[in-house]
Amino acid sequence: MKGRYDDENLKWIPILIIAVYLSPFLLKSATFSYKYYLYILNMAGIYMILTVGLDLLSGFTGLMSLGHAAFLAIGAYTSAILVDQAGLPFELSLIITPVIVGLCGLMIGFPALRIEGMYLGLTTMGFGFIVKRLIIAFRDWTGGSAGLQVSKATLFGFTISNDWNNYFMIYTFAIIAIIVARRIVKSKLGRVFMAIRDSEQAAQASGINIAKYKMLSFFISGMFAGFAGVLFAHTNHFISTDHFDILLSVYFIVMVLVGGVGSIYGAVLGTLFIVLMENMFIPLFKDTLTQYMHLEAGDFQAFIFGLIMLLFIIFQPMGLYGMWLKMRIYWKLFPFNPRKRFT
Amino acid sequence: MKRTVSIIIITALIWMGCENRTTSPGVTDTEILVGNIQDLSGPIKELGLLIPAGTNMYLDYINAQGGVHGRQVKMVVEDHGYNPMKAVVAAKKLIEKDQVFCLYNVIGTSPAEAIRPILEESGVPLIAPATNSSSMSDMSRQAAKYIFHTDAGYDLQTRVLIDYILENNPEAKIGIAYQDDDYGANALKGCAEAEANHGISVQKESFQRGATDFVGQTMNFMKGGCTDVIIGGVVREPVTIMKTAQAIGYSAAFYGLGPTVDPRVGLLAGEAGEGFIAVYWAYYPDSDEPGPVLYQELCEKNNVPAKMRGLYHYYGFATAHVLVEGLRKAGKYPTRKRMMKGLETLHNWESGVFPPMTYNRNDHAGVESVIILQLQGGKQVAITDWRN
Amino acid sequence: MTSLFTDINQEIVSGIALGSIYALIALGFTLIYKATEVVNFAQGEVMMVGAYVNFFFVTQFSGMAGGLNGWVFTAALLGSIIFALLFGIILDYIINRPLKDEPVFSIIMATISLAIILRSLTAMIAGPISLVPVSPFGNNTIKAGGVVISVLDLAIIICAFILMALFFFFFNKTRWGIAMKATSADAEAAQLMGIPVKKVYRYVWMFATLVGVISGVLLAPRMALLDTTMAYLGLKAFPAAILGGFGSIPGAIIGGILMGVIETVSMGTLSFHFNWVKEINDIIVWIVLIVVLMIRPDGLFGIAKVKRV
Repeated sequence: MKGRYDDENLKWIPILIIAVYLSPFLLKSATFSYKYYLYILNMAGIYMILTVGLDLLSGFTGLMSLGHAAFLAIGAYTSAILVDQAGLPFELSLIITPVIVGLCGLMIGFPALRIEGMYLGLTTMGFGFIVKRLIIAFRDWTGGSAGLQVSKATLFGFTISNDWNNYFMIYTFAIIAIIVARRIVKSKLGRVFMAIRDSEQAAQASGINIAKYKMLSFFISGMFAGFAGVLFAHTNHFISTDHFDILLSVYFIVMVLVGGVGSIYGAVLGTLFIVLMENMFIPLFKDTLTQYMHLEAGDFQAFIFGLIMLLFIIFQPMGLYGMWLKMRIYWKLFPFNPRKRFT
Repeated sequence: MKRTVSIIIITALIWMGCENRTTSPGVTDTEILVGNIQDLSGPIKELGLLIPAGTNMYLDYINAQGGVHGRQVKMVVEDHGYNPMKAVVAAKKLIEKDQVFCLYNVIGTSPAEAIRPILEESGVPLIAPATNSSSMSDMSRQAAKYIFHTDAGYDLQTRVLIDYILENNPEAKIGIAYQDDDYGANALKGCAEAEANHGISVQKESFQRGATDFVGQTMNFMKGGCTDVIIGGVVREPVTIMKTAQAIGYSAAFYGLGPTVDPRVGLLAGEAGEGFIAVYWAYYPDSDEPGPVLYQELCEKNNVPAKMRGLYHYYGFATAHVLVEGLRKAGKYPTRKRMMKGLETLHNWESGVFPPMTYNRNDHAGVESVIILQLQGGKQVAITDWRN
Repeated sequence: MTSLFTDINQEIVSGIALGSIYALIALGFTLIYKATEVVNFAQGEVMMVGAYVNFFFVTQFSGMAGGLNGWVFTAALLGSIIFALLFGIILDYIINRPLKDEPVFSIIMATISLAIILRSLTAMIAGPISLVPVSPFGNNTIKAGGVVISVLDLAIIICAFILMALFFFFFNKTRWGIAMKATSADAEAAQLMGIPVKKVYRYVWMFATLVGVISGVLLAPRMALLDTTMAYLGLKAFPAAILGGFGSIPGAIIGGILMGVIETVSMGTLSFHFNWVKEINDIIVWIVLIVVLMIRPDGLFGIAKVKRV
């Protein structure tokens, strides 16, 4: 895989950002139940921050992680404890928590120096189980298996209380996170990550300290997840170990994959696609269908979800971003049999 | 070709997402809409089928009699797959999009806890959350005034069981096998209360949700010399533990909490399960109180298959009584506030399915006493009065 | 010290029985990984499907025969085996072939979606209500030397070892087995040497589903109730497969049994004597696994691959 940003066109970025901020207003004028859609978009925004970080780790550095729900959990619980029990202001927690989660990332990064590929994926999965158990064990702080109520976020004296405000906070941070991730990818650091992914031996031969950069990748990815965790805790107001199921980690990987591995925009698109599909399109599709036929709704939803994923992976293995690239090249080279030019 | 198909699919999905519906919240001239969030795709999806089926059976019965104040009660069921995150999405959908009048029977402790902020924000009451956790009726928590809990908590159940055991045998050495999640944590809370009351110490052994092997725990009870073992499981746990105990030649009296009052325990455990004692907090399906009698009648009338009848189907049937009573109390022109006010006037209310129930401003706990049942020849028989 | 180890024999024997189940699932992972370097996340689901199919056959045949007897179970087992072989061919067609040249990442995701599909489809067809499977061995137990073991558990242990021996022999001694080894080492070179790679892949998937279905058939009666949560046991078999080293057949069996024994002993004797063990009962296998991987990154029996630039 080579870098995909060589022919990038940046003039659309400001328009996209404005669109992000305008869309809740559009939504509000279009539908009465905008809070439901906003909530789903908020969820996508939080996950976006995490999947962008996951893409840096799995897509760019090639280190598979099936434990990112655990990072999210550590971030959420740390922030909840720092703000509600230690009395730290939310703004400070926004800075401290990601660093703490990043350090936890280092802890996982340490075995990753020796463990590779699938073994690493499953080790991080084990890490997910261990974190869940530890959260229950420290029940004095975390509330154990009963879960923990979390206060509302207060940003510079402004209390962020409903889905509307959450949207603007989450998407501001999400945009910052995406820009930061893009800067990382474009920098020397990003190229080092890709070098490690493409061939560890070659990277090492070129004088790259693999251990250092692998650890760094885990640290950065952990920080993104921690950041997402803070937002998760303070916009949901309730966290429990059931939130951070092992399946969620798998879903994060699915989001990255559906978007297109190794592209920041891909991770963003994939997250949006999966979250919207699972929580909005499929339930609504089911609602429409149940008017005409009787079916076991829950399993049907899961079935459609699995089917779409499988078809996607079989027919569009490059992901949504790859699909977009294909389409763009098709139009650029329109009359000249473009199909053969893109493989 | 592939591309065209994908574009069509995506456009269709987006088009469906934009469809819009604006009606007044949940109540029309002919209909009241109630939202229910169940686990239809997760670890307890069996309950997701049985509980709403039981509820619908009672609602159909009420609707056939003309409904509540001339309105038919209709229920929409959403799925949360035992994931609190999805429970929140489902609650938002029901409240904002489907515009339900109230929520009812959200299953599981963490999903029910997770939707507290939404209840607080939207002022929608939650009737009979389907969890025996006593935290649901804790009036100091967020949105507590919107939640009307029915079930007696696991802590109460455990405490009563320990009281009962010590009454019959003051020398008993008690052990408890608990599931290491909120179910178990609640049971342990009751256990700790009883320990403090009686000055005893209970041997505690944990197991995981979905575990299949209980040799270690059973051996530990044997080593610890327990004469009475309480099993905080559902169906598989008591059956497997009793069978294991029989196989390794360990004889003790076994007890179970609410969810073990399932006919399948007797069916599966066979002779190993004879004499199994469990606590329950409603009139159990086999008794001759008016509610259970109506239940059996309706089951016969609707040809409910035998494998569906039982604890959970009955649970949906029983809690629907509270829902319908609340809707009745809300009056001819129901609002959410009137419904909550109406429910809070209930005093020693005889529903026929629960022992007399009381709600008021400071008490949303519902049933606060339990009865002890014993498995005798495959049938549940009450061996005590109501106690708390 | 004797007090610490009272009754530990019983726990070890039960642990071996539990571990043999993990071992059977791990064997399924291993077979596919050995030939295609794909980790099949749907192995637990294949096992669950096997259990359901066997249940279906038992009910059908017992209806025909007018009661349960040994022949019913044998016929149901045969039916399940035939189903497993067909099922393996189907899976090869929908998972393995279209994704042949895609990165491993994509194939893993495909198996995860397959897992979701199988789980929901099973529940849609069979209904969400738990079934009550019947054990062909009844509730019989065997007592020997102060240790009790149920006949069913014994059958599971024996089955695990027989399958291991069979596949071990197959991979090391037969032409097809060696062809499979060659394919896993370098599919292109194998094709050039005249090995029918397509057929090799198909057989591997057939074997893996066969192992999965057999473990499902054996495990179902042990679960008391059969529902789709059975598939989650697949997740628990992962540490077993990794511990032994993915791709090593004896490794899968030994890893599985080790995990089973560790789990049972930690739930039993260890948590009896040390209270804090109760807190980590269900993650102790993962802790052991991570420690082992830190020392031997390829598992106990895995062979480190030589990397080239």
